[in-house]
Amino acid sequence: MKTIEFKQLDETLYYKKLSNGLDVYILPKKGFSKTFVTFTTKYGSIDRTFVPIGESEAITVPDGIAHFLEHKMFEKEDGDVFQQFSEAGASANAFTSFTRTAYLFSATDQIYKSTETLLNFVQEPYFTEETVNKEKGIIGQEITMYDDQPDWRLYFGAIENMYHTHPVKIDIAGTIESIDKITAEHLYTCYNTFYHPSNMLLFVVGAIDPTEMMAFIEENQNKKEFPEPTPIERHFEEEPVEVAVKERELKMDVQKPKVYVGLKAKDTNLSGEEMLKHELSVQIALECLFGRASDFYTEVYENGLIDESFAYDFSLEKGYGFALIGSDSTSPDELAQRIKEEINNAEQLLSQEAIERVKRKKIGYFLRALNSMEFIANQFTRYKFNDMNLFDAVPVIETITVDDVINAFKTIQGESQQTLFKILPTSEKEA
Amino acid sequence: MFLTTKIAEGVNLHIRQTTQFKTVNFSIKWRAPLTEEKAAERAVLSNVLHHSNGKYKKSAQFRSYLDDLFGTVLYFDASKRGNEHTVLLNIETVNDQYLAKNNVLNDVLDLLKTVVFEPNFENGQFVSSIVEREKEMIIQRIQSIFDDKTRYAQTRLTQIIRPNHPASISANGTIDTVKQVTPQSLTECYNSMINEDQVDIYVVGDIDVEEVQKKLIQVLQFKDRTPKKLEKQNQVSKPEQEYTKEQQDMKQGKLHIGLSTPVLFGDEDFPKMQIFNGVFGGYAHSKLFMNVRERESLAYYASSSYSSHYGLIYVVSGIEPAKEKKATDVIFEQLDAIKNGEISDLELNQTKAMLTNQLKEALDLARGQIDIYDQYKDLGETFSIDLWKERWANVTKEDVQEMASQIELEAIYFLSGKEA
Repeated sequence: MKTIEFKQLDETLYYKKLSNGLDVYILPKKGFSKTFVTFTTKYGSIDRTFVPIGESEAITVPDGIAHFLEHKMFEKEDGDVFQQFSEAGASANAFTSFTRTAYLFSATDQIYKSTETLLNFVQEPYFTEETVNKEKGIIGQEITMYDDQPDWRLYFGAIENMYHTHPVKIDIAGTIESIDKITAEHLYTCYNTFYHPSNMLLFVVGAIDPTEMMAFIEENQNKKEFPEPTPIERHFEEEPVEVAVKERELKMDVQKPKVYVGLKAKDTNLSGEEMLKHELSVQIALECLFGRASDFYTEVYENGLIDESFAYDFSLEKGYGFALIGSDSTSPDELAQRIKEEINNAEQLLSQEAIERVKRKKIGYFLRALNSMEFIANQFTRYKFNDMNLFDAVPVIETITVDDVINAFKTIQGESQQTLFKILPTSEKEA
Repeated sequence: MFLTTKIAEGVNLHIRQTTQFKTVNFSIKWRAPLTEEKAAERAVLSNVLHHSNGKYKKSAQFRSYLDDLFGTVLYFDASKRGNEHTVLLNIETVNDQYLAKNNVLNDVLDLLKTVVFEPNFENGQFVSSIVEREKEMIIQRIQSIFDDKTRYAQTRLTQIIRPNHPASISANGTIDTVKQVTPQSLTECYNSMINEDQVDIYVVGDIDVEEVQKKLIQVLQFKDRTPKKLEKQNQVSKPEQEYTKEQQDMKQGKLHIGLSTPVLFGDEDFPKMQIFNGVFGGYAHSKLFMNVRERESLAYYASSSYSSHYGLIYVVSGIEPAKEKKATDVIFEQLDAIKNGEISDLELNQTKAMLTNQLKEALDLARGQIDIYDQYKDLGETFSIDLWKERWANVTKEDVQEMASQIELEAIYFLSGKEA
């Protein structure tokens, strides 16, 4: 077991790669009564075309399958896994993103029991045609629920505009039609390919003794047999730099229009510290341009172009990346125009003073977030899957220069990388 | 848990020294009786105070200064509990020891004085243009509920079962009452909040207690006050209609059911009602989840929540509109099962374990420590996890059955698409 100390943060991280390939990280927290554990596979909704383990030809599986699989992991021959967690007083959950599927629990008591439940249920698949079909009604309602959420539609509408081929444009849960095609056999194929321990990471944070916990996990893993790890081959089609659709709108039963300006990232093949610096630099640029202390924000807030829903964000993973900026607005076109002006004038607006201020804010943000076990476990895993280290964020922010920020922003700034997506009230009269 | 000092009549300071967190948290809670008019004024007030103050007259200046204090988070918010309205000031700042710069904490304490006691006044009252804009923001916040169908359905249900009652009065007031706010009425509202409200000040973090206490007493010069007695909850009558169906352009059906119980927060039977709710629909092991979702595949979510200050239980589920009857039947079957005593040891034990865990987990957050202490301090006993654990441990199946037998249906509200 290795230890990694972060002196300034007063944290020590324990790490071991087990013989089956599983990465285990443990971060003890003094003074807390809770422990939070995540068991994550590097497998999400975008992994739809791949070579199944032990085969040589790539296949494409129905959309929404990673999420469907996540649901089905909780059901076993002898019942629902939630029951076991509840019995031990643990709150369990799971989520599927574009690139990851995570299973997790938090508890203040019987941590070893729940850790064992977590490791075992994720590593013992049980799918039958009957249980798979039964789940279709439940997930169907989940999809319908999201379909009725204007903010979710806005988010996906903007992403769909940006991408020609990349599966990030497909809803994580799929569609009612696509999930209808899912079979138990599909689930086993995906499970066997992506749930090998060598493609997974276990993170434990909280009130635990790291040595004992590591031994407990290792003993559990040593009892199980896994095939030799093989590299996973994922296939993605060529994706142009330009957006697929420049502008699009959708009518929904909302009281006020919603708008997003999307910026498609050019540099999506980064990893490690280079990626960390790039990602943080773009985030700093966005905060300088659109943050609450910016001239832009003051202006559009004061003239009523935005309301409290105004938001901006940058996401970056291998193969895709995008920034989204927008708000509910009675004048969505005017707002979009103002956002685009800021984007096009970014070089003039990104001053040394603003960047230094935002860097301080960002350092504070990371330190505050380290109070949250959920943040640490989820973000550490996401960083690690991209060969970055969460605990490097603060020192890396300190090294970021004005040129870093301007150059990073240039990679998402181009006119052909910009798109616009609006949601308009159904009742609104055509102008 | 907290060290409490009375700094003026009606004003208490609660401090907790702990090395658990990398930040220091401050909260100030101002409380007054909840009415629609007061809620509207106080919601606008919290936005106006959030926007600027006498020292930082422009929002951008104010936010830049906070950024410079290593992204110190500072916000005002409006909320309610029972028949009280709360204006809340929250501040979270990184502990000096993790920063290259020192004395951030001291700067934050000075800022606290500015944001509370030095409002951005022109000619003795709030600036009209700011007031008008923040009124507009609150109106838009109220209107945005319409876009979130779950929240909208919930709002409609509470309006139906408890009209003109604290349970249905929004902490933001209504569009009409917000429109009536003027710079003058807002200034009066501010003065009354500062001088007449019940005030509780909380600090949690790795701080020097004496030093912070001294400094806070110096910066927060609240006068003595006798907080207004809160009116008793209005007598309620049964809603006129037991079933309401409304339609919008949407795909899913939102089934919201309002039930009532005579048991309120702090009553002797309160722990029994908490267990009842856990067995019924509070968790993933509960009857609603296990039957509506897992057994019948009718929904993605099906749960209940116990609004203990109002004696209400809300059941919510998102379903296919055509299956409304089936879902309603399955939900009431679960209530009947509990009334008939169909409660397993497993369900009971799971619920007790989950309640204990939830409380312990909440106490791992600074904000959780403040909120729980703030809520439980009114019960006039020393709060401890063990005390509540014991109360839950004593709850039997018969108790839960008895709780179920006292529950009455108030109303069912169904929101669905137009073609259903």
